[in-house]
Amino acid sequence: MNHTERLAVAFVATLAVMVVGATLVGFISADGAAPAPEIENDHYTDEDLIHDDTPGEADVTMSSNQPSRTVLVDPGVETAGAAPANPLALLGLGGSGVADRDIRPLANVLIENGHEVRVHAPSAGGAAAPPGPSGQNGGTQLGAELEEADAFVTFDSEYSEAEREAIDSFLENGGTVVSMTDPDEEFDQPGAAALDSTLGVTTEPGYVYNLAENDLNYQRVYAEPAGESSLTDGVDRVVFPSATPVGAAAGSEAFRPIEGTQLSTTRASTDAPLVVADGGVIKIGDADFLSPENAQRADNDVLIGNLADELVSSGAAGGAVEFPVGGPADGSPPADGPVVGEPPEPPTAEPDAAT
Amino acid sequence: MSSNRFDSPLTPRRQLVVVVVAAALIGAVFAPIVYANANEPSGTVAVVEIEGPVNTALADDVENELAEIRNNGSVEAVVLKMDTGGGAPVASERMYKAVQRTSQQMPVIASVQAISASGGYYAMAPADDIYVLPTSTVGSIGLNAPAPQTTPPVQGPSGPDKAGGNEIQGWARQQTLADTFINAMMAERGDRFELSREEVAHADVYLGTKAVQNGFADEIGSLNEAIHEAATRAGMSDYGVDTRETGPDGGVPFLVRTDQQVVAIHSNDPGYADVEPMGIAYVHWESVPHVDTIERFSEDSLPVEGTESAGAAGANATGDTAAANGGESS
Repeated sequence: MNHTERLAVAFVATLAVMVVGATLVGFISADGAAPAPEIENDHYTDEDLIHDDTPGEADVTMSSNQPSRTVLVDPGVETAGAAPANPLALLGLGGSGVADRDIRPLANVLIENGHEVRVHAPSAGGAAAPPGPSGQNGGTQLGAELEEADAFVTFDSEYSEAEREAIDSFLENGGTVVSMTDPDEEFDQPGAAALDSTLGVTTEPGYVYNLAENDLNYQRVYAEPAGESSLTDGVDRVVFPSATPVGAAAGSEAFRPIEGTQLSTTRASTDAPLVVADGGVIKIGDADFLSPENAQRADNDVLIGNLADELVSSGAAGGAVEFPVGGPADGSPPADGPVVGEPPEPPTAEPDAAT
Repeated sequence: MSSNRFDSPLTPRRQLVVVVVAAALIGAVFAPIVYANANEPSGTVAVVEIEGPVNTALADDVENELAEIRNNGSVEAVVLKMDTGGGAPVASERMYKAVQRTSQQMPVIASVQAISASGGYYAMAPADDIYVLPTSTVGSIGLNAPAPQTTPPVQGPSGPDKAGGNEIQGWARQQTLADTFINAMMAERGDRFELSREEVAHADVYLGTKAVQNGFADEIGSLNEAIHEAATRAGMSDYGVDTRETGPDGGVPFLVRTDQQVVAIHSNDPGYADVEPMGIAYVHWESVPHVDTIERFSEDSLPVEGTESAGAAGANATGDTAAANGGESS
């Protein structure tokens, strides 16, 4: 090996040592991200975490075989001056009333069983509309409609004094009134207190909730029968999506929230009833439980059927006393009605009226 | 004899002087470096700021910072400087996972400034300890979302759930989303909460003074005290502090809520691209200001000196700018 070759070998050997050394050092002192260890988060994989989203099914039926009755529904749709009612309100949006679909489970079962459903849709300035002939309707559109009805279902609470008098007369004459309210209403003008007074019922400010056991939301509380009655027949538990406690001066409690339910204003446990019945009055502290979706939850369909039975149980409604069932179909009072202006008095029953 | 000696014209004594001077010069060059190394703290506490609405940009930064910290040998402890009322669920979960991973590797202390609620609380829950100031706000473990509604059918979409959905299915999804959050918090801090799961699910917020009693926080202390505690746990007698700013470069968005939902606005003078509706949110409701409407209106229709109501401004909406008008609804 001559001198030149020795130099070349020395060069290559030195270079090799440098490169290999640098590679080894690089491997040894590598500062990249180490493989991340698996972190078990069992709370994310718990099977109970996923809530059952099956909407459920409803089978609303009536057991009553009463002859045809007329049920008047006031969905609480407001008029806006001379314009027609807010169309959004009919969709349940932007208005205080309930939509057509929201009363369908109840309305449909009544219709299927041969009863008549009428909807109170106040015309502009409706409160002063067609003066009734009987003196009992106070000259209001509602009064005139009640005279032809056997039962009255209302989602509204804002009534004029004349309308409340008409409702009072309707009750005195044996009509059935179902009043539904929501916790929202306590934030409105205090018209609801006047209606409650007319009906002899109370509404507690605040809403009930249950964080331990509920139907997919703390405000969607379960309620159980508080005793045995025609309203609770066949019901194990029902769902009230947004409920306020109600009471009656001298009535019976129909449904109470299940154990663990609390009241928003006190944050304390409550078993105050959510449905009470007092004679011809049924007060329900919720207005959403009979919508199509909610009718499919728990035994709400059974309750709606029971409610329909209650609505047609008595036929001696105020107007029907004076006007035979099947009177004027257009809602206008008959010409031979009692004289306008007579003070309310016990109606003189006609033979075919009280069927 | 001369062959074994350094062949120099200098005398041995002078040679010694030259060597000493040379060593002193070289030493003077390297001494500051050696001094700096010797004088450097033994480790670093990284302070990661989690401030403003919880959103994707914030989660991106927090994830990156914490990943870098985990792989940085000089960082031995982390303090999360918290000041947020929450925000988007996924962004909250991402930060939760990043904090969880970091806390497995080194001490992590959360230090709450004004508020760490909802999605903010979610993010810091895996910390070893939560420090609060007496009037800090923590809690709000829950979901904000509008009630699922049944809407009229829309013609066109390929399936019934493409545009719209079933009300009950919506409720189930929201409850699952809420429980995901609540269960995670129970898993992280259930042994410290003095409250039951149902009480936690109320989603209440607590002042620092109460939070250290009911287990929503661990200590009353400032950011500096949290940093010192983190360093102590990492065994550092002396330490440096490295603050990591996070969040979007263009400033944090501000959140407002309408009657329907929470909306993130990414500009002071927002166009439509800057307005991002958030249907669901892990957010502390009261920390988000309410506006009546978010509408288009021009600058000349802005209310002047409080004489115009929000409704009036909205009624004159003619301009080309999306903006929030109105105010606190109460």
